Amino acid sequence: MFACLFAPDFSVQAALRLEPEDRREVLKQSPIAILEGPASLPRVMAGNEPARLAGIEMDMTRLQVETCGRVWLRKRSQANEDAAQMALLDCATSFSPRVESTAPGTVILDLAGTEKLFGRAQALAQKIAMRAAEFGFDLNVAIAGNPDTAFYAARGFTGITIVPAGEEAERLASLPVDVLSTSPEMRNTLEILDSWGIRNFRALALLPPVPVVERLGQEGLRLQKIARGETKRPLAPAEASADFIESFEFEEPVETLESLTFILNRLLQQVCVRLASRSLATNELRLKLELEARQLHSGENKESYQRAWKLPLPIQDPKVLFRLVYLDLEGNTQPAPIRKILVQAMAVKPRYVQSGLFNPASPEAEQLEITLARIRGVVGNADAYGTPCVGSPRVLDTHKPDSFAVQPFSGLDEESDSSLPPTPVISLRIFRPAPETNVELAGEKPCSITLHKKLLRVLAASGPWRSSGNWWDATASWTRDEWDVALKTTEGVGFYRIYLDRIKNQWFVEGGFD
Amino acid sequence: MSSAAILRASIEAKIPSAFTVYRRPEQKSIPTGIFQIDSLTAGIPMSALTEICGSELASSGKTTVMISLLAQATQKHFCALVDANDSFDPSSALAAGVNFCRLLWVRCGKNQSKLKPMEQAFKTTDMLLQSGGFGLLVVDLSSLPERLVRKVPLTTWFRFSRVVEKQRAALVFLSQKPHATSCAGLVLHLKTNPAVWSGNLLTQFRLEAEIVRSREKKPTQSAKPGFSVPSQWV
Repeated sequence: MFACLFAPDFSVQAALRLEPEDRREVLKQSPIAILEGPASLPRVMAGNEPARLAGIEMDMTRLQVETCGRVWLRKRSQANEDAAQMALLDCATSFSPRVESTAPGTVILDLAGTEKLFGRAQALAQKIAMRAAEFGFDLNVAIAGNPDTAFYAARGFTGITIVPAGEEAERLASLPVDVLSTSPEMRNTLEILDSWGIRNFRALALLPPVPVVERLGQEGLRLQKIARGETKRPLAPAEASADFIESFEFEEPVETLESLTFILNRLLQQVCVRLASRSLATNELRLKLELEARQLHSGENKESYQRAWKLPLPIQDPKVLFRLVYLDLEGNTQPAPIRKILVQAMAVKPRYVQSGLFNPASPEAEQLEITLARIRGVVGNADAYGTPCVGSPRVLDTHKPDSFAVQPFSGLDEESDSSLPPTPVISLRIFRPAPETNVELAGEKPCSITLHKKLLRVLAASGPWRSSGNWWDATASWTRDEWDVALKTTEGVGFYRIYLDRIKNQWFVEGGFD
Repeated sequence: MSSAAILRASIEAKIPSAFTVYRRPEQKSIPTGIFQIDSLTAGIPMSALTEICGSELASSGKTTVMISLLAQATQKHFCALVDANDSFDPSSALAAGVNFCRLLWVRCGKNQSKLKPMEQAFKTTDMLLQSGGFGLLVVDLSSLPERLVRKVPLTTWFRFSRVVEKQRAALVFLSQKPHATSCAGLVLHLKTNPAVWSGNLLTQFRLEAEIVRSREKKPTQSAKPGFSVPSQWV
C-alpha cells in the first residue's frame, strides 16, 4: 500500500504555514494570491480557492488583482517553499522510512509493514492528516495499492480517500482528465483527448489500447494505465536531510523585536516539530538575520547578524530555544531593519537519562540553560581576553600561574578525578588584573611594598621562586620571581604573593593568601 | 479523671492540635571540612543564610574556609559561586579537591555593563535561587569596598533569607563584616594568628573562627576554635 500526501495550492500553504493556527484558519477562508516576478510587474502564480472564486486567475498583474476586491497578496518565497517541502517529507518520515518527494507539495510513502504500528488504512490516513496539521498543512491523503493511483486520487479528491485493491479503475473513474496535467508537456496530449470528447478517467480507461498507442504513442498508453489504476513503479526514496532549516522573508523589513520574535517563535516551533517527527533533538542552534543593507549606519558595515548556540545537551523544546534566542536579541540591537530570518538546528539524538537514587539533585537542564543565558545577559558573555564569564572552571595544563579556562556548565554529573585532601590548604585570592606595585629591596629581599596606595612594611618574605615558560614564543613568553610576603597592615598581618615580571622588569601583586 | 485532664480533653475536642508540640524538621547541613568549626556549628546550615566574614586587607582565612566548603559540598551537590570581583583561584580550589564538574562559576564585573559588580552579583544570586537545583550558593562580596556592601538594605538580606528558607540549599555570603544581622542563620568571623614559617618557607596558617551568631546551636561566648591550615606546597 502507498499513501500520497498532497498539499493543494502548495505555494499558498507554504506562505501561511508560519502563521499562528487561529490566524491561518481565518486566512484560509480569505482570497490569497501569491505574486512572482520583477518588483515592477509581479504576476499571480498561485492562489487559493476563495481567490479563484473571487475571479483571480494566473498571470494577473497586481493592479488587476486589486480590482477583484480585498485580496491578501504575498510574495513568493522559494526558501519558504523548500522549507515547507522538507517539513512535508519530515511529516511523512514519521510514518514510513521509504518516502518519495514526488513534486512540490506532494510526497508518496510506502506503507508496507506499518499496519500493526498505525492500524488500518482509514485510521492511518487520519493520523497522517492530523500530524500534517501540526506541521501547518491542510492535506489531501489518498491510500491505494500503487503510487500513481494514490497520487492522482490525492490530487483529484479532497480529504481522505481510500482506494481498495482491485477497485482502482472504478474509484478513479469520476476524475477529470485535467488531473493528469502535471507538466506543461502534457498539455498537447490533454488537448487531443479533449478534442476526442474524453473528459474523465472512465472514458479514457474504456478506449481500446492499440488505437491509443497508434495515435498518442507510449505516453497515451501510460495515461490510460493510470486511468485504469494498473501502473506499477518503484518509489524513488528521498534522502533524509540532516539540515533543519526554517526561514522567513519579511514583506517589509521589521525594526521592532516584537515583530521579529513572533515569526522567530513560529520558526523554532516548526524546527522542533520536524526534529520530534524524526525522534531527534538539537545541540546547536544557528540564527542568521539578513539586514536591510542600504539603511546601515556608517561605520557598521554589516549586512547580516549571525549567532550560534552550542548547547551542552540536546534540546527539543521550542520554548527553551526561543528564550535563549530572545535573551540574545534583547541584548544586541541590530544596526538596520531585518529583512530575512533563518534558523538552523543541528540534529543529534535526544538525551536519555537513567535516574539514580544516589545521584545528586541537579538543576533542571532546560531551565538551567535559560538561567545561564539570563546570567550572561547580566554579567556578559566573556571578559576582555575572551574567557567566558559563566561556566565551570578548569585549570590548564601549564606552569604559568593563574592559567584557567571556563567550560560550559552542563549540570550533568560527570566522572571526576578530584579527591579531598585530608586537611584544607591555604587558598589564594587572585587580583585580576594584577596591580603594579613598587617594592623596596634590602639586598635581594623585599623590605617594603606599596599596596592600596600605602607603604607597608614586610615582616617576613619567602623567595625568590623563579619560574618561566613559553620561551620559544616571543609574544607569550614569561619569566618571573615570586615572593610570599607577610605585610603589616592596619587590620593585622596580611600574607601576599608578589612577583617581579623579569621581561617588563616590573613588580606586581598576584593576590593575597586568605 | 483529674480536672486538668478533663480540661485538656475538652480543649482537644474543640482544637485537636492545641497541645501538639511542633517539632522543627531536622536541619541538614554541609560540613566545612574543618573539624573545629563543624564540631561547634554542625556545618553550614541548609535552607538558611550564612555569613563568613574576615578582613580583606589582612589575611583572615575566609577564602580557605569557603574553598574547603566548596570541596565538601561538590562531593554531594551542584554548587554555584558568584564571584563579585573575579578573585577565585581555580588552582587553589583544585588543590583543595573541588569537583569542577559540579561547580558553576559566575565572574561578575568583567564587562562594561550598566550594572555594578555588586548589583550583578545580587541579580545573579536571585536567578540561581529561582532556578533551584544547587545545593550550595556562595556569593563572594569580600573584595568589594565595605562601604558599598554596608548600603545593601536589610530587606534584601531578609528576602534572600526567606527565599532560601524554602529550598534545600545553603546560601553563603563572604564579606568583610556581617550585614545580614538576624536574617543570617550562622555568622562566622575569621582571623589569623601568627603563621608558621619553616626557615624561609611559609608552611602553615593559624586561624581562629568566632561564631558570632548561630540559630541552631547557641554559641558559647568563649567559643573561638583555632585550627591550622597547611600551605599547598608543604
